[in-house]
Amino acid sequence: MQSNAALEYDYTVAKLFTFTTILFGILGMIIGTLIAAQLAFPELNYLLGEYGTFSRLRPVHTTVVIYGFTLSGVFATFYYVSQRVLKVSMAESKFIMFMGKFHFWLYFVGALLATISLLLGYSQSKEYAQYEWPIDIVIVIIWVSWGVAMFALIGIRREKALYISMWYYIACFLGVAMLYLFNNMAVPTYFASGGLGSIMHSVSMYSGTNDALVQWWWGHNAVAFVFTVPIVAMIYYFLPKESGQAIYSYKLSLLSFWGLMFIYLWAGSHHLLWSTVPDWMQTMGSVFSVVLILPSWGSAINMLLTMKGEWNQLTENPLIKFMVLASTFYMLSTLEGPIQAIKSVNAIAHFTDWIPGHVHDGVLGWVVFMIMAGLFHMAPRMFKKEIYSKNLLEAQFWLQTTAVVLYFTSMWIAGITQGMMWRAVDEYGNLMYSFIDTVTVLHPYYAIRALSGVLYLTGFLMFAYNMIKTMTSGRELSEEPQFRSPMA
Amino acid sequence: MNALMIKGLLFAAILIGATIYVVDSMNIDLSDPINMITMIGAIAIAVLTVGVSIKYINQMKSDTAGGELCEDKWDGIGEYKNELPGGWAYSWLGTVIWAFWYMISGYPVNAFSQIGQYNDEVKAYNVKFEEMHNSADASTLKEMGESIFLVQCAPCHGSTGDGLSGKAHDFTSRMSKIQILDVIAKGSNQLGYPMGAMPKDMATGADAEAIAIYVAGGMKGEQPAAFAACASCHGADGKGMSGMAPNLTVFDETLVGNVVKNGKKGALGKMPAFNDRMTPVQIKALAAYIATLKG
Amino acid sequence: MFHWLEKNPFFFSVGVFIVIAFAGLIEILPNFAEASRPVVGLKPYTVLELAGKEVYKKDNCIACHSQLIRPFKSETDRYGQYSLSGEYAYDRPFLWGSKRTGPDLHRVGNYRTTDWHENHMWEPTDVVPGSIMPAYKHHFTNIADIETAYAEAVTVKNVFATPYGDEFQATKEAWEAHKAVVLAEAKTITADMKNKDVKEAVAAGKIPEIVALIAYLNRLK
Ligand code: HEC
Ligand code: HEC
Ligand code: HEC
Ligand code: HEM
Ligand code: HEM
Ligand SMILES: [Ca+2]
Ligand SMILES: [Ca+2]
Ligand SMILES: [Cu+2]
Repeated sequence: MQSNAALEYDYTVAKLFTFTTILFGILGMIIGTLIAAQLAFPELNYLLGEYGTFSRLRPVHTTVVIYGFTLSGVFATFYYVSQRVLKVSMAESKFIMFMGKFHFWLYFVGALLATISLLLGYSQSKEYAQYEWPIDIVIVIIWVSWGVAMFALIGIRREKALYISMWYYIACFLGVAMLYLFNNMAVPTYFASGGLGSIMHSVSMYSGTNDALVQWWWGHNAVAFVFTVPIVAMIYYFLPKESGQAIYSYKLSLLSFWGLMFIYLWAGSHHLLWSTVPDWMQTMGSVFSVVLILPSWGSAINMLLTMKGEWNQLTENPLIKFMVLASTFYMLSTLEGPIQAIKSVNAIAHFTDWIPGHVHDGVLGWVVFMIMAGLFHMAPRMFKKEIYSKNLLEAQFWLQTTAVVLYFTSMWIAGITQGMMWRAVDEYGNLMYSFIDTVTVLHPYYAIRALSGVLYLTGFLMFAYNMIKTMTSGRELSEEPQFRSPMA
Repeated sequence: MNALMIKGLLFAAILIGATIYVVDSMNIDLSDPINMITMIGAIAIAVLTVGVSIKYINQMKSDTAGGELCEDKWDGIGEYKNELPGGWAYSWLGTVIWAFWYMISGYPVNAFSQIGQYNDEVKAYNVKFEEMHNSADASTLKEMGESIFLVQCAPCHGSTGDGLSGKAHDFTSRMSKIQILDVIAKGSNQLGYPMGAMPKDMATGADAEAIAIYVAGGMKGEQPAAFAACASCHGADGKGMSGMAPNLTVFDETLVGNVVKNGKKGALGKMPAFNDRMTPVQIKALAAYIATLKG
Repeated sequence: MFHWLEKNPFFFSVGVFIVIAFAGLIEILPNFAEASRPVVGLKPYTVLELAGKEVYKKDNCIACHSQLIRPFKSETDRYGQYSLSGEYAYDRPFLWGSKRTGPDLHRVGNYRTTDWHENHMWEPTDVVPGSIMPAYKHHFTNIADIETAYAEAVTVKNVFATPYGDEFQATKEAWEAHKAVVLAEAKTITADMKNKDVKEAVAAGKIPEIVALIAYLNRLK
C-alpha cells in the first residue's frame, strides 16, 4: 500500500460539480418555495405569465432538484471519493481527465437546456421522466460518459478491493441506466408521420396500465438509485472519514447492500395500489416494501453504531450532527414509505399531501443534509482552506432542522386529514365534504409549508455563502486534515 | 429512560395528538377500519423511528466502539468485523420468511380481489341505509338533499344555489326572463315530460316579452292575454297540469327529477345529466332541499 | 464469494445488474399482453381531443389532477364508475397522476360541460370560491398545435395499430384534407361557448388551446 502523501488527487471535476450543486440547489429550492407558496396564496401563480403557474413549475422544481442538484452532488462526491478509495488520481490519465470534463460540460449544458424545455412546455408528462426525446438522448450520452470515467478509474485502481461507497456508486450507475432507458422509450411523431408537426413531440412506447407499470418501476427506483444508493455511498465515506471511526460492521454493510439491491426493484407497484394493475402485483409491491425496511435501516444503523462512544463529536462537530440526523431522517422515510405502502393505509395516503410529506423527509432531511455535509468535508481538502464559519454552520443546522420538521408535520396532518375527509360520509351515507371543502381546510398547513420552505432555503443560502467564503477567504491550510474538518 | 428518549417520544405524542385533534374536528369517524389502520400506521412510524434511532444515538453516549478490524483500509477508513446487531438480524430474517409465506400461501389462499371488496362495500352500505332512506321524513330529506347538493351541484349552482351570477340556474327564484325568452324562441325537447316537446315561437315580440316578465315575476298580478298559448300545456295556473309539462311556479320533484336525469341545455348553459349517478331517494332529497331555496 | 466479487469489478457489476434486472422481468412483463386490450366500444381520440391532451400535458395538469378512480364507494360516489384497465388502451402516456390537489378527472366529461369549463379555466374562483387552481387565460389566446396532434394519430395508427380510419395517412395532403374535420369539431365546442375572441378565431380557421382542451375534457367519461 502506498501512503496518501505520494498521490496528488486532482479535484478539477469535483470542484466543477460542486459549483453546479450549489447553483441548482438554490434554483430548485427557490422554485420549491414558490410552488409551496402558490398553494397557500394562489395569486403567486401569475408572476411569470404562462410560465409561472404551479403546474408548469412543479416539474421544473422536481427535475432541477433531482437531476440538477442531487446528481451534481453525486458526481461531485464521486469524483472526490472514488479517487481516494481507489487510490488513483485523475491526473494520472489524460483520458479520464478528458472524460470527466466532457461529462461535466455536457451535463451542465444539457441540464440548462432540459430545464428550459420544461418551462416552454415540452413534456412527456411522465413523472420524473418529463424530458422529451432529444433531451433524453443527451442524458443517455451524459450517463455513458460518467460510466466510462467511472470504469476507467476503477480499471487503473491501486486498491484491489472496492470500498463500500464504490459498490453503491456502481449500483447507481447501472440502475439508472437500465430503468431510464426502458421508461423513456418513445416514438417521435415527426419521423413516423412523414415530417408533420413538431419535431420535439413523441408518444410513449407503452400505453395505459403497461405504461404505468414501467413508469413506476422507474419512478420508485429513481428514488432507490438517485435518492438512496448514491447518498448511502456518501455517508459510508464521509461519516467514518470525518469522525475517524471505523465502520461498525462489514457484515451489516454487505447484507444491507445486496438486500437493498434485490428488494428495492420489487416494490415499485406500491405507487399503483388500488389501480387497474392486477391484485397480485400490487400485493407484491406492498409486501416487499415492508421487507425493504430492514436493508434500508441496516445502513442507517451501521452508521449510527459507527459513532458509538463518540457523543462528544456529535455535540462539537456540526458536520457529524448533519450526518447523524440525516441517518435518522433516512430511517423515518424508510419506515414511513413501507407503512404508506400497506394497502389500507395507502387508501388514505395516496393522492394526498402525506406523500409529498414523506418525500421531503427523505430529500430535505437525508439527501440535502448528506450532500451538504459531504461538500463541507470536501471543501477544506479541495481548496486547501479552512471552512469559513462554524457559527454559520451551526445556525444553518438548527434552521434547516426546524424547517424539515415543519414541512413533514404540516403535510402529515394535512394529508391524513384530507384523505379521511374524502372518504367521510354523513349520517345518511352521502359524502360529507365537497372537494373544495377538502382544499380550503388545508390552507394553514400550506402556509406552514411555505414558511418551512423559506427557512430551508435560507439555510441553503447560508450553506452556499459559507462554501463560497471558504473558497475565497477561508484561512489557508498547510496540510490536509486527517479527519475532522477544520472550521473557523 | 433518558432525557433524549423522553423528548423524542414526547414529540411523537404531540404529532399524533395534533393529527387526531385535527381529524376529529372534521367529524371523522376513526372507528372506520381504514381510518383506524392508517392512524395505527402513523403511530407506528412516529414511535418506532424515534424509539429505535434514539436507542442507537444513546449508544454514542454510553457505549464504546471496538472489535476486530479487517485488513483493508481505504483512504484511512477501516472496518470492524462485528456481528450483525441481533434485533436487526432477526427482524430481517422474520420479514423475509413472512414475505415468502405471504406470497406463496397467505395471499393466494386469501384470494383477495379489490373489485370483490368494492362490491361488498356497496352492498353493506345499501343494507345499512335502505331502511333509513325509505322512511325518511321531510326534514331528513331536506338535510340529506343539502349535503348532496353541496357536493354534487354547488360547483355549478353555487353553495347557496344562486347560480353564481348567471352561470347556472338560480334557485332563489323560479326562472329568469332571459331563460324564458330563450325557451319561447327555441322551444325545448330534453326533459322527458309526457307532453314531449315544446314547440318554438309559441309567442313572439311584445307578447313574448310580456309573458316572460309575467312568468319570471312568479306569475303574480294580471296574466297577459298571450299566456293562453302556454296555458294549453302548462295550465292557466302555470302548474304544469299535474306533471304533463313543467311547473312554471315552483321547483317540484318532477322537474328536479327530470332535469337531474336528463340534463338541460338552455340560455345559461348546459347542465349534464346525472343519469345513473343518483338514486331515487337522493333525487327526492334534492328536490326537497331545492324547494326550500326559494328566496 | 462476496469478497471475491469486491475485487472483480466486472463480475461485481454483472452481479448487481442481474439482481436488479430480475424483478422487472417477473413483475412487469407478464402484464404486457393482457393490459393493452381496449374495452369494447373504446374509440381512439379524435385529432382535436389529442391536441387537447397535448395542452393538458404541456400545462401539466397532472401536477394536481389524477385520472384514476379507485374502487371505493367514496370515490365512485364522487367521480363515477371505478376505472378499468381497458379504458386506457389508447393513453400514451398514461395520465393517472399521483397527487390530487384538485379532483379526479377521469370521468369529468359526465358531470361538467363546455360552458362550465369555459368559465372555470378562465377564472376558477368565479365558479368555485376558494379554489386554488390557477387561471389559464393563456389557453384562450394560444393556438393549439393541431398538426402535431394529427402526426400523433398517424404515428399510433402506423406503429401501434390504433384503429384510425384510412384517411389518416403520413402525407401533407391527407393532413390538409383532415383539417376541415378538426375545424368542424371545434365549431361544435364553440357553439356552447361565450368568449367572442375564441369564437372569432375558430371562425377564421384557428383553434385556440381552450377549445381543444375542452374537447378533451368532455371526452373523459
Ligand atoms: C305543446 C305544449 C307546450 C306549450 C304550448 C308550451 N309549453 Fe312550455 N313546455 C312544454 C314542455 C313539454 C316542456 C318541457 C320541455 C323539455 O322537455 O325540454 C316545456 C318547458 C317550458 C319551460 C322550461 C321549464 C324549465 O323549468 O326548464 C318554460 C319556461 C316554458 N315551457 C314556458 C312556456 C311558455 C312561456 C309558453 C307559452 C309561450 C309555453 N311554455 C308553451 C310544453 C309546452
Ligand atoms: C356542470 C354544471 C352543473 C351541475 C354539476 C349541476 N347543474 Fe343544474 N344546471 C346547470 C345549468 C347551466 C342550468 C341551467 C340551464 C339553463 O336553463 O340554461 C341548470 C339547471 C338546473 C335545473 C333546472 C331548473 C329549471 O327550472 O330548468 C335544476 C332543477 C338543476 N339544475 C338541478 C341540479 C341538481 C339537483 C344538481 C346536482 C345533482 C345540478 N343541477 C348540478 C348546471 C349544472
Ligand atoms: C394548483 C393545482 C391545480 C392545477 C395546476 C390545476 N388544477 Fe384543476 N383544480 C384544482 C382544484 C383545487 C380544483 C377544485 C376546485 C375547483 O373546481 O376549482 C380543480 C378543479 C378542476 C376541474 C373541475 C373538476 C370537478 O370535478 O369539479 C377541472 C375540469 C380542472 N380542474 C381542470 C384542470 C386542467 C385542465 C388543468 C391544467 C390546465 C388544471 N385543472 C390544473 C387544482 C388545480
Ligand atoms: C423503504 C423505503 C421506502 C418505501 C417502501 C417507500 C414507499 C413509498 C410509497 C408507498 C409512496 C407513495 C406512493 C403513493 O401512494 O403515491 C412513496 C412515495 C415517494 N417516496 Fe418513498 N418510500 C421509501 C423510501 C423513500 C425515500 C428514502 C425517499 C427519498 C429520499 C422516497 C421518496 C419518495 C418519493 C419522491 C415519492 C413520491 C412519488 C410520487 O411522485 O408519487 N421514498 N414511497
Ligand atoms: C426549499 C425546500 C423545498 C420546498 C419548499 C419544496 C416544496 C415542494 C412542493 C410544494 C412540492 C409539490 C407538492 C404538491 O404537489 O403537493 C414539491 C414536490 C417535490 N419535491 Fe420539493 N421542495 C423543496 C425541496 C426539495 C428538494 C431539495 C428535493 C429533492 C432533492 C425535492 C424533491 C421533490 C419531489 C421529488 C417532489 C415530488 C413529490 C411527489 O410528486 O409526490 N424538493 N416540493
Ligand atoms: Ca423523457
Ligand atoms: Ca408525484
Ligand atoms: Cu416507491
